[in-house]
Amino acid sequence: MRDRVDEIRKAGAELVIVGNGAQHFAAAFREDYALDGPLLVDPELRAYRAAGLRRGRVEALSPRLPWNALRALRSGSRQGAVQGDAWQLGGVFVIRPGGALTYRYVSREAGDHPPVDDIVAALAEDAAPISEEPASGTVTSLLGRALSRLVDPTIVLSFDRHGFQIHALTFRPDDLEVDLSERRCLVTGANSGIGYESALALADLGAEVVLLCRSPERGEAAAARIREQTGNARVSVEPVDMSELASVRAAAERLAARPVDVLVHNAGVLPDARTLTSDGLELTFATHVVGPFLLTKLLRGALEQSDDARVVWVSSGGMYTRMLEVDDPNWEDRDYDGVAAYAETKRAQVVLARLWAEALEGTKVVVNAMHPGWADTPSVRSSLPRFYRVTRHILRTPAEGADTVVWLAACPRAREWSGRFFFDRAPRSPYLLPLTRESREAREALWALCEEASVRA
Amino acid sequence: MRLATRLAGIELSDWRGQRVRLGSFWEDRPIVLVFIRHFG
Repeated sequence: MRDRVDEIRKAGAELVIVGNGAQHFAAAFREDYALDGPLLVDPELRAYRAAGLRRGRVEALSPRLPWNALRALRSGSRQGAVQGDAWQLGGVFVIRPGGALTYRYVSREAGDHPPVDDIVAALAEDAAPISEEPASGTVTSLLGRALSRLVDPTIVLSFDRHGFQIHALTFRPDDLEVDLSERRCLVTGANSGIGYESALALADLGAEVVLLCRSPERGEAAAARIREQTGNARVSVEPVDMSELASVRAAAERLAARPVDVLVHNAGVLPDARTLTSDGLELTFATHVVGPFLLTKLLRGALEQSDDARVVWVSSGGMYTRMLEVDDPNWEDRDYDGVAAYAETKRAQVVLARLWAEALEGTKVVVNAMHPGWADTPSVRSSLPRFYRVTRHILRTPAEGADTVVWLAACPRAREWSGRFFFDRAPRSPYLLPLTRESREAREALWALCEEASVRA
Repeated sequence: MRLATRLAGIELSDWRGQRVRLGSFWEDRPIVLVFIRHFG
């Protein structure tokens, strides 16, 4: 074990240590044991969680052990005078410039340790990247399916973060082991929340990503963050206001010059009061329904140029509460209710995914809708403050909410479906409540409404 | 999402209390990132 730190340095690498306690412990320890490399503290366990190290695993042991572990690492002795084990650690990862992961070790119990030679081998310039997801066994997957059956009939335990964790047990680990470097992805409303996380994940898989944002400044700031985090320079911004049809037309004209592989309809609004756009459309109807309909229509040619095109509609679990509304989409005859308008237009998106799938049958374009569950996004905080107050401790992260968007856009086997509604990587029924199922006439009326509104403008 | 991308944007304090972005460590060299089980 002697000179392992030096060995790592000799290989041109740095040893970076993360602990979960307070800063003064770290400072004292560093001095006591003459550690000279980076030593970081993560009391909120943000990095631990991002690395997939669970809380129980991290906190299982007595406070003294890691210090002893580090001490042993430094002094070269593993047993004897020093208590504990040099590699009695939460996890060890080797990350290469550009972000490739060449080594992963997650300790399962106190006392197990990774072979140091493997770590040093993973530092070599030609070390091959390893699979990003730790393999999950059949048992895990069976457990996940059993638990899913238990929680899925309940809304709260399924849509919240617990639901994600349970459903994630059934995910296939290599589903997102894909290289998207040949693919061009467009994401609307990509400067925050689920849109941002979707764009980030697609850029991370190597795709060229265009962020379609209302505000060029916020869009540019998001693009810069994504470029920095992923090391992918091919992230750009296309300013567009999805509620304004002239803006949609102008953006589509610029975007249609090259093939489009992925189009994510994510941009959303939840206004307090009835607002009309310059086209005379109610704001949620324009933003969620007519704008994306028009964009899809104008990009149809560019999508058909791809040999594997995906259109993803980011709907909402709230749509389960409403039936498709085609008689008064602009709220002319009813007292305005923003939440109801939101849910109705989210229902319309699920129906549009089905209608577009039918319209594009026989082409290489698949169209699906999904709902992200309940996620902690800026929109939820500002538009649904009461909902947020009650649920904030059980909300999913935006990245968890975006998971199915990324899966539908990137996973090779996701293109087996078209016209369906997804939640946590599985097709689901779009109807949970009685009297929310629309008729075929209503679906046809929605298509006609969209055609008419987008032609008139 | 790649592990490196999830970690890159996270800012932590070092032993002096200085904020540092995790991604900055592997910009120009490989790193061995060690999470210890406890920290005092």
